[in-house]
Amino acid sequence: MAHWMKNLKVQPNSTSLEEARKRTFEFFRLACRSIPSIMEIYNLQDVVSPSQLRSTVASQIRKNSHVTNPKVIDMLLFKGMEELKNFVDHAKQRHHIIGQYVVGRKGLVQDLGPKDEGISNFLKNFYNSKYS
Amino acid sequence: MGSVVRSALKAIKEKGLTSFVRELREEGYLSALLDGNLMQTKIHNIGATLVGVDKFGNKYYEKLGDTQYGRHRWVEYASKNRYNASQVPPEWHGWLHFVTDHTGDELLLLKPKRYGLEHKENLSGEGDQYIYHSKGHSLNPGQRDWTRYQPWQPTKA
Amino acid sequence: MGLGLLASRTLLRSGKIQPGNFTSLLRRCIVSTTELQNAEAAQAQAQPDTDLPKRSPVGGARVHFPNPEDAIEVFVDGYPVKIPKGMTVLQACEIAGVDIPRFCYHSRLSIAGNCRMCLVEVEKSPKPVASCAMPALPGMKIKTDTPIAKKAREGVMEFLLMNHPLDCPICDQGGECDLQDQSMAFGSDRGRFTETKRSVVDKNLGPLVKTVMTRCIQCTRCVRFATEIAGVQDLGMLGRGSGEEIGTYVERLMTSELSGNVIDICPVGALTSKPFAFKARNWELKGTETIDVTDAVGSNIRIDSRGPEVMRIVPRLNEDINEEWISDKTRFFYDGLKRQRLNDPMIRGPDGRFKAVSWRDALAVVAEVIHQVKPDEIVGVAGKLSDAESMMALKDFLNKMGSNNVWCEGNGPNPNADIRSGYIMNTSISGLEKADVFLLVGTQPRVEAAMVNARIRKTVRATQAKVGYVGPATDLNYDHEHLGTGPQILKEIAEGRHPFSSTLTNAKNPCIIVGAGVFERNDKDAIFSVVETIAGRAKVVRPDWNGLNVLLLNAAQAAALDLGLIPDSGKKIESSKFIYLMGADDVNLEKVPEDAFVVYQGHHGDRGVYRANVIFPASAFSEKEGTYVNTEGCVQTTVPAVPTVGDARDDWKIIRALSEVAGACLPYDSLSAIRSRMRTVAPNLLNIDERQPATFSYSLKPESHQETGTVPFGTVVENFYMTDSITRASKVMAQCRTLLLKI
Repeated sequence: MAHWMKNLKVQPNSTSLEEARKRTFEFFRLACRSIPSIMEIYNLQDVVSPSQLRSTVASQIRKNSHVTNPKVIDMLLFKGMEELKNFVDHAKQRHHIIGQYVVGRKGLVQDLGPKDEGISNFLKNFYNSKYS
Repeated sequence: MGSVVRSALKAIKEKGLTSFVRELREEGYLSALLDGNLMQTKIHNIGATLVGVDKFGNKYYEKLGDTQYGRHRWVEYASKNRYNASQVPPEWHGWLHFVTDHTGDELLLLKPKRYGLEHKENLSGEGDQYIYHSKGHSLNPGQRDWTRYQPWQPTKA
Repeated sequence: MGLGLLASRTLLRSGKIQPGNFTSLLRRCIVSTTELQNAEAAQAQAQPDTDLPKRSPVGGARVHFPNPEDAIEVFVDGYPVKIPKGMTVLQACEIAGVDIPRFCYHSRLSIAGNCRMCLVEVEKSPKPVASCAMPALPGMKIKTDTPIAKKAREGVMEFLLMNHPLDCPICDQGGECDLQDQSMAFGSDRGRFTETKRSVVDKNLGPLVKTVMTRCIQCTRCVRFATEIAGVQDLGMLGRGSGEEIGTYVERLMTSELSGNVIDICPVGALTSKPFAFKARNWELKGTETIDVTDAVGSNIRIDSRGPEVMRIVPRLNEDINEEWISDKTRFFYDGLKRQRLNDPMIRGPDGRFKAVSWRDALAVVAEVIHQVKPDEIVGVAGKLSDAESMMALKDFLNKMGSNNVWCEGNGPNPNADIRSGYIMNTSISGLEKADVFLLVGTQPRVEAAMVNARIRKTVRATQAKVGYVGPATDLNYDHEHLGTGPQILKEIAEGRHPFSSTLTNAKNPCIIVGAGVFERNDKDAIFSVVETIAGRAKVVRPDWNGLNVLLLNAAQAAALDLGLIPDSGKKIESSKFIYLMGADDVNLEKVPEDAFVVYQGHHGDRGVYRANVIFPASAFSEKEGTYVNTEGCVQTTVPAVPTVGDARDDWKIIRALSEVAGACLPYDSLSAIRSRMRTVAPNLLNIDERQPATFSYSLKPESHQETGTVPFGTVVENFYMTDSITRASKVMAQCRTLLLKI
């Protein structure tokens, strides 16, 4: 499975935003293709569905949609690839993926919309956690 | 060697060829042709005394006299193709390993009836279902929910 | 007896060899310390030094001399100690800083002197004496460290261990066992007992106390506790010699409300906690010193937790409140903290079903609704278990919304919050011991406040104080005179027509206790004015003695009245459109109008939840820091022992967050800020662990012209074991009710 990952190396910088964009989509496809094997490795069948994981990956990428510097995009892609490789290589454990991408999805998709503007720090903390 | 052939011929004459072959296979003589270990056990058995048979069918032999001390007790496992030391039940273990001179049948009389688990052989490596997963492991079928409190269920309203 | 020993004896007797090193090697000795074999010689060496360093008393004990002339001087290991007359040798040793091992002796129980562990040597006494039972005499020379004393302890320990099973690994007392500790400290390193051990049939003492009677060492502490402090004659000693055993003479359960304390006083693992059995070891537990909120006494407890779970509750010493006992409800309700918990904010949808939502949505819904109702249609009710901080926040919030209808349940429709002496126990709980006549009005302290009842019982036992009781027939566990059931009797006493009124007038320190159940009566003011008349006649309130008390029911009541949580009028709930229930489950929910919007903030899915439109999950008392005032006006705080469950938040934080979403932001956002707000309202709430006596007395109260009714006083607490949302959720408490309240 991981044969295509064995030859991973740092690619030369993207020359333009277009190229970085293309690489982002390539990365997303790569991640989506590895989802079935990740589900198999970590026994995630009863916890999460592939589509949920796909949307988690997508939202993770969309979180950085405001980045326009191709170098920064390259760096983010590299970090994403690193994370993906860790999962595919079984370098992580089941609770890592559950904690970060299944249960903790709220933290990923949470966007500070306009309705949270102007509220006090107390209320922000109140919404965020019970320990504050 | 000649006596072996003669007794084999005699057995064929008594039981017929098919049942003789079946017996050969059940006793492991056929697999012994490929399994040197079993073959050696079979050769050892010639002239040895059968001390006992446990409830799994393992046979315990002893041969005193010309055998080297320390090699004078051995077991022929009931299973002829998949055998290992964990198939020996605890009551026979002592006898087999020269811990005691009491045979397993004698020791079995001392085993308490009310408790004491049935002996189970070690099935490690025999398939996924025999792999032990600790409590709370995702493959352990036991307790799944580890919440320490019980939430109120709104459906009861 | 070994062969060698036999041989050496014969040789000794025949005088063939000289006794010397050879024989002492052969003699099989139990005493591990070598010099003990020759007691006399070692004694000669241990000469008391003349100037010894000062030792401090055990556990910081202080000596109180009621009469300075009665002081006597004794010598403990050569140290001169001044003690009052009548103290025992053991107490003298404690003051001298020597801890004597003991099993049967307990400072709050009568002296039995049957374990013999406390043997010490007294000069000019032929034998070692049991120090717990021997009164100290002037000039007595007590030696606790001599070979004779040590040998005596080793011997006693060996006899005790003779019939004690060696099952410490499966014993729940393991790790906190007196026998274990003392056999390590004072016992021998080997035993000589080879016969079989005695075994005793276990007794069934009910759902709370587990017995393993084989472990019992017959110290009789539990028997003495049951008869002396709990006031039930359930336990006793049967048999003689090695057949001696503790039991309930006939097969029956222990029905006391203090029965859990026998677990603490049992020095071995014979009596252990049944709900805690095999749950945890004491060294795995984290202790958090906090207080109990299931009744108004505020008993000091230690919550022992492991991870996120409360594993058990044990008492903490506080001489002013609960001494070292707690009631069974306090000790065993903790499994209710794990059941029926509210863990997510919920909104009732149009189909009548609850749906879990985020805090953001839940707060937004409530904030929207609260602006749609008229200010005087908003009502807030604080529950029995609310802390002062959250009640302060609730009152401030509703005041900001324009409503002043905030009260605490149990305080009745028209509470008197102006004069503090009118709702607290002015005598103080420990002060009850000085009283010599009690008049209980409409209160059954045994079920309402078991620790107060234990104090009254202690007083009655010690001084034969008289107790008069007005209310429905009940079983108080001390001698009392049942005067009647209704307020008419009070009038008779007030007018001097009743024989008990002369008892009251002749008393030195009369004490009147009015139950908080009276608050709910319509003729409450009249009853209080009659009680005041009685108090005036019998001189109950004097500069040196204030015997006029109110016994509250719930932990939140006193703080609510201190903070001024009083409604505008008693009938508000019928005309309300928005009701904020802060843990209030005992509000009459049938009176709530159909179209009212009910917000329930609390930690358990109890009665209040079923009528609610929005649920806010809050943390329970074991999970938050909160201020509580007990019935005697002592301010105490809870300390969080375990993390709160699910998405729950602290009570005051929820109200603070709601106030911001509703656009009426409260000016505090930390615990210290809300406490400084409380200081401006009720400064006494900041004096933690201090009893703040009321400064004004009844004389300032306006006259009441109400007539007393004829309705007899009712039973306020029907079910001792289930009084609030936590105890109602507890399985153990439910068992107690089915098994113990039937009898």
